[in-house]
Amino acid sequence: MPPAISIKGVTKRYGPVTAVDAVDLEIEAGQVYALLGPNGAGKTTLIEILEGYRQRDAGDVSVLGYDPQRQRGELNRRVGIVLQRSTPMEGLTPREMLNFSARLYDHPMNTDDALELVGLTEHADRRGSKLSGGQKRRLDLATSVIGNPDLIFLDEPTTGFDATARRQAWQVVRGLTERGATVILTTHYLDEAEHLAQKIGLIKDGRIIFEGDIAGLRREMETETRISWQPPTGLDLSDLLPEWSDLQQGADGRLSLPTQTPTLHLARLIDWARERGLEEIPELQVERPDLEEMYLELVDDSQELEQAEATEAR
Amino acid sequence: MSAADTLRTARLGFYYMLLNLKTIYRQPAALFFVVAFPILFLVIFSSLLTFEIGIPEQAGANVPVVKFSQYFVAGIMGVAIFGTSFNLLGTSLAIQQFDGTLKQLAATPLPRASFFLGLVGTALTYTFLQLVIMLILGVAAYGIDLPDASGWLTLIWIVLLGVPAGCVLGIAITKIIPSANAAPAVIQAPFIILQFISGVFFTLASLPTWLQWVAGLFPLRWIAQGLRSVFLPDAYRYAEPGMNWQLDIAAIVLAIWIVVGLGLAVLTFKWDRSG
Repeated sequence: MPPAISIKGVTKRYGPVTAVDAVDLEIEAGQVYALLGPNGAGKTTLIEILEGYRQRDAGDVSVLGYDPQRQRGELNRRVGIVLQRSTPMEGLTPREMLNFSARLYDHPMNTDDALELVGLTEHADRRGSKLSGGQKRRLDLATSVIGNPDLIFLDEPTTGFDATARRQAWQVVRGLTERGATVILTTHYLDEAEHLAQKIGLIKDGRIIFEGDIAGLRREMETETRISWQPPTGLDLSDLLPEWSDLQQGADGRLSLPTQTPTLHLARLIDWARERGLEEIPELQVERPDLEEMYLELVDDSQELEQAEATEAR
Repeated sequence: MSAADTLRTARLGFYYMLLNLKTIYRQPAALFFVVAFPILFLVIFSSLLTFEIGIPEQAGANVPVVKFSQYFVAGIMGVAIFGTSFNLLGTSLAIQQFDGTLKQLAATPLPRASFFLGLVGTALTYTFLQLVIMLILGVAAYGIDLPDASGWLTLIWIVLLGVPAGCVLGIAITKIIPSANAAPAVIQAPFIILQFISGVFFTLASLPTWLQWVAGLFPLRWIAQGLRSVFLPDAYRYAEPGMNWQLDIAAIVLAIWIVVGLGLAVLTFKWDRSG
């Protein structure tokens, strides 16, 4: 079976900011793939290039065999899209919206089945303006699958939800994936990717910096150990610096060194301290952060790209 | 495009029209300001102003006297024909561009042509309703005489050209609307000015020539003049510029607006300004 999505060297710039930087990606048919990354990492830009909303500056894109830039009409017949923002028409009920949507596709689902799938049967005849945030989101999901798509895009399906609503939404998404469609989902929640996806692509600064399953991500990211200590005042560090260019100093003056070879570096640090007659290194710590901590560190919200995207859309 | 594709485009356009009709029907503000407004104007003006309008000098003898309501129904129907489509599309599309509704719609297989057809169909339906109500009210309450056979024909083609012209202008004006909140103001300003310079409330002849020329660039002036040919006795053409109803020019101007406006609308239309 050919891959559902295959892209090569895809690049998108907004002025001086490179939002997507020469990304290669292959997503197998039938797979649930999560694009994970902080705000402004380029997730939405990349997914909107795949959906056909944005034009790439360079690279090749094939989505179900179509180029979304040129063959969007054909592509739209076979994909379902859940956008970041929910916009049901206020005067219409979920049943009316879904009945209309169903007519647009060649082999649609039954409206009642779609309502059932997302748990909206009880609210089927309530006006859009009277639905809660979670119910609107579930209507978005139903609208995206009513055409029995081969590929579903979910752009941050649970952002802004509380814990219960997120769990419910995950249930719904799992229901969708069981129908055999390929799903590509963007999220900045690690646990969401872990719960829903078989494969994760971690994106940062427009590049995919890791690809694999959650266990692989854990292995990859948890390899780094951190040695940290409080440097005594009046000691000169200048001979350590050329050797340890990764050395970071926190606001409290604490020094920390991320490393893959902690034993070696610790020995070097102890030698250095002995040479200076320092018997005890103050507050010395050797620790191994877990995946969640590493990920939170990575999610250092750069707002720059989001602004560039917003400007371009106008 | 194959026959099956054409059929699908028409069918989906029809369903999109039904969806729009329902959405607008459930919006009290749109129903009142867009659909009911011209009808209210007809009622108010016809009730307040009961004088008879002057017979043109060149008309000669044996010209029937005409009540103000008979004159005004032509202009206000012009407002309904042009304004309903212009207002309805301009406002609702601008709002949907900014709130992401059209972005979502662009993700569906609804053909672009069906989308535009559905919009025109929506405007045509509401305009048709307005005109029927106006005619019934006019005849029953204000003694308006119905047109003759050729008048009905003229009315029909003016509706069929005037509504699409209003639609494409409504679509095109979304280009200069800076935000959803600004939509009603940006739409109303040119529309109110057009009403005053297009011979709806005042006769064209009472305007300075340059203003007549400005009005002549837009559809409303020609729609209103064409409708006067429908509702006024033929001798009243002497009160028109060129002493003629100028139906040929009206048809040409409206057709040009549809073609040029559609080109502009398709080229500049934005499906998503929600970013």
